[in-house]
Amino acid sequence: MIRVNGKRQFWYEGMTIKDLLEDLEDSHHYAVIRINDKHVSRPYFEKTLIPDNSEVFLISLIAGG
Amino acid sequence: MTEYKIEAIKTFDYEKSVIDKGYANKTLLVDISNSDISIHPVTEKMKEVFIGGKGFDLWLLWNAVKGTTKWSDPENAICIASGPMGGTPVYPGSGKSIVTTISPLTGTVIDSNVGGYFGPYLKFAGFDALQIRGKTKTDIVILIDGIDEKIQIFETSGLPDDSYALSSTLTEHFAQGKPRNISVVSTGPGAKHALMGCLNFTWYDLKRKRARYKQAGRGGIGSVFADKCIKAVVARWDRVSVKTNNPSDGIALKEVGKKHSREIVDLDPKQNEMAKIGTTHLVTIMNDFDLLPTNNFQYGQHPEADNVGQEVYRRIFDTGYDGCWMGCTVACSHGVKDFVPLTGPYRGEKVFVDGPEYETIAGCGSNLGVFDPHTIIEMNFYCDAYGLDTISVGTSIAFAMECFSMDLINETHTGGINLSFGNRAAALEIVHQMAQGEGFGHIVGRGVREMKSIFARDYKADLNIMQDIGMEAKGLEFSEYMTKESLAQQGGYGLALKGAQHDEAWLIFLDMVHNFMPSFEQKAEALHWFPMFRTWFGLCGLCKLPWNDIIPEDNKDTQEPAKVMKHVEWYTQYYTAVTGRHTTPDGLIRMSEAVYNFQRIFNLKMGFGTREHDNIPYRAMGPVKPVEYESRPERYDKELVEKHHVDITDMSTEEKIRTLRKFRETQYEQLKDAVYKRRGWTSNGIPTIDTVTRLGIDFPEVLELLNAKLGDDQG
Ligand code: SF4
Repeated sequence: MIRVNGKRQFWYEGMTIKDLLEDLEDSHHYAVIRINDKHVSRPYFEKTLIPDNSEVFLISLIAGG
Repeated sequence: MTEYKIEAIKTFDYEKSVIDKGYANKTLLVDISNSDISIHPVTEKMKEVFIGGKGFDLWLLWNAVKGTTKWSDPENAICIASGPMGGTPVYPGSGKSIVTTISPLTGTVIDSNVGGYFGPYLKFAGFDALQIRGKTKTDIVILIDGIDEKIQIFETSGLPDDSYALSSTLTEHFAQGKPRNISVVSTGPGAKHALMGCLNFTWYDLKRKRARYKQAGRGGIGSVFADKCIKAVVARWDRVSVKTNNPSDGIALKEVGKKHSREIVDLDPKQNEMAKIGTTHLVTIMNDFDLLPTNNFQYGQHPEADNVGQEVYRRIFDTGYDGCWMGCTVACSHGVKDFVPLTGPYRGEKVFVDGPEYETIAGCGSNLGVFDPHTIIEMNFYCDAYGLDTISVGTSIAFAMECFSMDLINETHTGGINLSFGNRAAALEIVHQMAQGEGFGHIVGRGVREMKSIFARDYKADLNIMQDIGMEAKGLEFSEYMTKESLAQQGGYGLALKGAQHDEAWLIFLDMVHNFMPSFEQKAEALHWFPMFRTWFGLCGLCKLPWNDIIPEDNKDTQEPAKVMKHVEWYTQYYTAVTGRHTTPDGLIRMSEAVYNFQRIFNLKMGFGTREHDNIPYRAMGPVKPVEYESRPERYDKELVEKHHVDITDMSTEEKIRTLRKFRETQYEQLKDAVYKRRGWTSNGIPTIDTVTRLGIDFPEVLELLNAKLGDDQG
């Protein structure tokens, strides 16, 4: 089990960030994902595995600077 | 501690104004040439047109200088202002000071938005803005004492030179046992010898029991301050509550302030954790998207970037509350405790370092090919202590390093320093030399624009290539984002009024990553709205970070997520609650538009402000050298073939670079056309008479200037 923006979500072995986002309708908004303390950017979504029990935060990085 | 003398040469007693709806309704003029101190009214017209903060500064400066005034002339003024909302403790980010002067780097107006307690204390002492004019030959300190209602000028000797020791000495000297009542503005020896001097503004950290500081970094304001022989300006004020700013509707203010503060507390831990790591998260993100300036903006990525990213600084930063204004829940102004420099006058001593933030890490780290967090912290510490802007220092050293790597300059010019990219000791040595006004560091301290002329004139270096790789626009060094693949951000830098700083528009992600603005018109619209809205923070005494660095959870579902309209609505409520004047989101833009156009016209007055001055070096648009092109061949080949339908089969890399350059330079000119049109300017980038009339800035002097310039254009 993982938590995504505070909500519990089913987890499976080998789950990548790309897999997680595929289930979301608004996935195109997210340029950066934080898994616990670590930021991962879109170019690495496909290769990054999400460990079990992670806290995942979806970040759009549309604004800022 | 060395002995110092501080002796009052002028004391001016006054009666403090009662703050009314965010305004003191007075400005303070200190002419240090003759120790003349006077108080002037703020008119209703001033408030209506210029709002406060940067608007007031610009109006005071406009009236102080002539079109021929140089930065070091006595009539050049340093203006510091808060704004109507400045000094509100319940709304996050409400303690900024805005500083303007004629810049030694650009020759025209520079403005800088800085934290610390000074602006609010100045206002509560009775002044919406302070204007310092004139020059002296002996070191002075100016005190604005809102508790005892007196302004004093002191002659001083023996005070520490560097800002780190000076600000803490003066805090203690004036505190009368209450150091939190003091905010010191000062600079250091670097500002005396270099053109990129910054000002340090203090806030007192009760937990760590020390004066901390934030920098008004850009454009060499500290150099003007040092040239005037001002050691420091000190403001003294007592407790601050919501009532101190006497808002029109305190209940509405508390309500909207609480909403925003609470949202930050709830969402920052789920987003970028700025309360823990400041802006350091940007380092690896920028690197991942090929946007982290590396080796003088040649590349956007480096395999060692993780060494200077947030995971490292998270461990290094001292934990605790780090708000540079009271009650700011973003609290992003972190620091490093017990840092021990390896070089310079503080070598081997434990010091507290304020920072580093993203810009410093990129400027004094990756852009120099340095990926060692310790060196970056040391550069950060000495730049602050010496009163130097870390961004201009970084970008200037990066330029010199690239010139060195291309044999445009060599060790005979650098005094034997091996300025190869990645040479940490050399970068630090240059900073120490800047502070002493010695050696090659003295030349680097003149900034990129002047270095180009010096290298061409004295060392016979190729000026054309230096124009392409010297990262400055309008004379101001670029801040630390790669723009090659974002046309909108090229405009964000090139069309910015003060020069190449991203505070008017940061559109890289919107443009390049999210592709939200494919057409010229959409980019032009963004280059209208964002600079205007961002300008508004500087009119009101606010920090822009709470607006869009932590965003509501449902923001992505709104029509224009980049504008974070929920927060814009809160800002309208905040403005109305303080000033009693009703406004709307469009009303905020309209306020800024008047001041923004006035600043553009101010540039015209100083001999700039037309189309040619909005140019940027080609390095900001695309690959200058074959190594850059060849580092991303698929990207550039694809653009030539698919977008511009060029047959590249038999083309050499040099030919491809030349061809790509034509397309990209044409695009940039088209962008200028679209933005000028959207802003109501002529094709030469000059606001039209209709525009200034619509905005209520059609003062006789403005019309006279415009008529002459517009006449020249037609003639
Ligand atoms: S957001 Fe950060 S920089 Fe802005 S006022 Fe708050 S602590 Fe200071």
